[in-house]
Amino acid sequence: MTLEFAARTELGDFSYDARFEAGNEIVVLFGHSGAGKSLTLQLIAGLLQPDEGRIVIGGEPVFDADSGVNLPPQERRIGYVVQDLALFPHMTVAENVGFGMTGEGRERRLGEVLDLMHLGEFRDRKPRSLSGGQQQRAALARALAREASLLLLDEPFSALDESLRVELRRELIRLRSELDLSVIFVTHDLREAHLVADRLAVFDAGRLLQFDGRERVFRAPANRRVAELTGVANILRGRVEAAGDGILTVEAGGASLRAPVPNGWRPAEGEAVDIAIRAERVNLRRLDADDPGQPNLLRGTIREELAYGATHTLRFESALGETVEVEIAARPYEVLGVAGQKSWTLELPPEDLHVMAVSSDAAAGSSASATTA
Amino acid sequence: MTALRARAPHAGLALLIAVFALFFVLPFAGLLERGIGGSGTWDAITSDTALDALTLSLWTSAVALVIAVVAGTPVAYWLTHARFPGKGAVEALIDLPIVLPPTIAGVALLTAFGRKGLLGAPLDDWFGLTLGFSTVAVIMAQLFVGAPFYVRAARAGFASVDAQYERVAHTLGASRLRAFARIVLPLSWPSLAAGAALCWARALGELGATLIFAGNLQGETQTMPLAILSAFERADGLTAAVALAILLLAVALVALAAFWLLSTRGRGTA
Repeated sequence: MTLEFAARTELGDFSYDARFEAGNEIVVLFGHSGAGKSLTLQLIAGLLQPDEGRIVIGGEPVFDADSGVNLPPQERRIGYVVQDLALFPHMTVAENVGFGMTGEGRERRLGEVLDLMHLGEFRDRKPRSLSGGQQQRAALARALAREASLLLLDEPFSALDESLRVELRRELIRLRSELDLSVIFVTHDLREAHLVADRLAVFDAGRLLQFDGRERVFRAPANRRVAELTGVANILRGRVEAAGDGILTVEAGGASLRAPVPNGWRPAEGEAVDIAIRAERVNLRRLDADDPGQPNLLRGTIREELAYGATHTLRFESALGETVEVEIAARPYEVLGVAGQKSWTLELPPEDLHVMAVSSDAAAGSSASATTA
Repeated sequence: MTALRARAPHAGLALLIAVFALFFVLPFAGLLERGIGGSGTWDAITSDTALDALTLSLWTSAVALVIAVVAGTPVAYWLTHARFPGKGAVEALIDLPIVLPPTIAGVALLTAFGRKGLLGAPLDDWFGLTLGFSTVAVIMAQLFVGAPFYVRAARAGFASVDAQYERVAHTLGASRLRAFARIVLPLSWPSLAAGAALCWARALGELGATLIFAGNLQGETQTMPLAILSAFERADGLTAAVALAILLLAVALVALAAFWLLSTRGRGTA
């Protein structure tokens, strides 16, 4: 099963433009609410029509603005689980799950789907008598029962507590491999996105900012806005001093930082760039151990400290003139004796620095950042 | 002291409830007292006039209800989901007969469908078809005053069904008709049933518009309310009026109870 998706549309003041594809994998649509994630699912399902674009499901065009193809939702072979589940309240679990099933062997297949989702014993119960997790499984079973190999899931686990979410995410990953499904999964939860995604599509204000493998999006965000959305705490504005062989030297706030040349892009000397480093990638060193004049070492003083139990978040005032956020696990925090010392040397390992082009899009979104340039 | 102060309004409220309830119960008591005590009640109930009127009332109000449901359901569904300028005005217009005095409805029907009316005149000239002062007019009057109750209730019922259910039904392969029949109809069933009961009750009790637009001919346009009025207007006619009133009341109660039973059963199995 494959999905090819390209759509542009205007809805009042909201302008939407996105293009991506999915194979046999879980593609996570990630972004804040109102970014266009749910809209994308509605466009795929045929509940909304884009102004322009082309949507192909399993080789069959279901929408094509140029040739006028536009199949209604009931003729698109998809399974769609909406955010509030929308289980039909007047039907039993079996009636709900069987709603979209037709043809020969209906009863047998219904039984199989109910068993697959561990719903056999609830088949004659009404949805309101089920727990949140059971309702979730019933909604998923109903979508699967159509034997659609493209599954659209809109924040399916958002209403559940953490232990159930963990279980259902595991179940989804199992189903994906068992049933050869393509799954488009919408979430605004960063950890959930990281856990289930094969590929990640980052949406913001109706635009698809980056579509890439999960690790690439997290390690090499396309621009400042993607970095912000994917939880990069430190984004510095700098200028390229020297572009050497595989290594860039970037000046930021008076300090000289070395970073690898990003893939597929070689900034020129003197060009303005953004440099991203995640809080958990910054190392603490004792002040007297190293010479702060070296590249990628900065002096910093702790101004704020937040203890989360397993980790500590430290906010440093640094020579860069910007706050640098550092996340450190509880154990090294104690071993290093962070509680008793305010001044530290911060090491920004070159391999963990990611240099990004300064785009107009990114500049527009930068005001929401915790650390502004 | 606080307990006393809290109690005082309770006593007042209890009195208010009792007086208010009495106001509604007493007329029925009076009706029954007069009917059971009076001689000639049984004769009046079994008279030809009464049976003709009852038969006419029952079948005309049933036809009006069927038309209201068949035509009103799609209109109400469309009105619930359609968006167009002036929608509020259209909805107000449909609700208008609910608040309109029935005599005005009768006059209005006459000016539209009477022999000299807007549509009545050409119908009479070209086809020799006269609507006014016929059984058809009785049904038209009942439909005019009763159908808005059904449409109003159906609109509320349809609006109470989360549109998400229908959308999900479509993604599960259901056509619009199937989604309506399997999802919308069962979920809005209580509203539809209540609206239909109100519509029928209003049609059964229709007097003013029928009198003006359809007249008062026994066997043809004289429905039960008109028969009661005619009996009352005769010298010494209170006994007959009371008897007919009791008959109509009993029939209406039985019908509504049966309807209620059917609709709650229907909701249970849907």
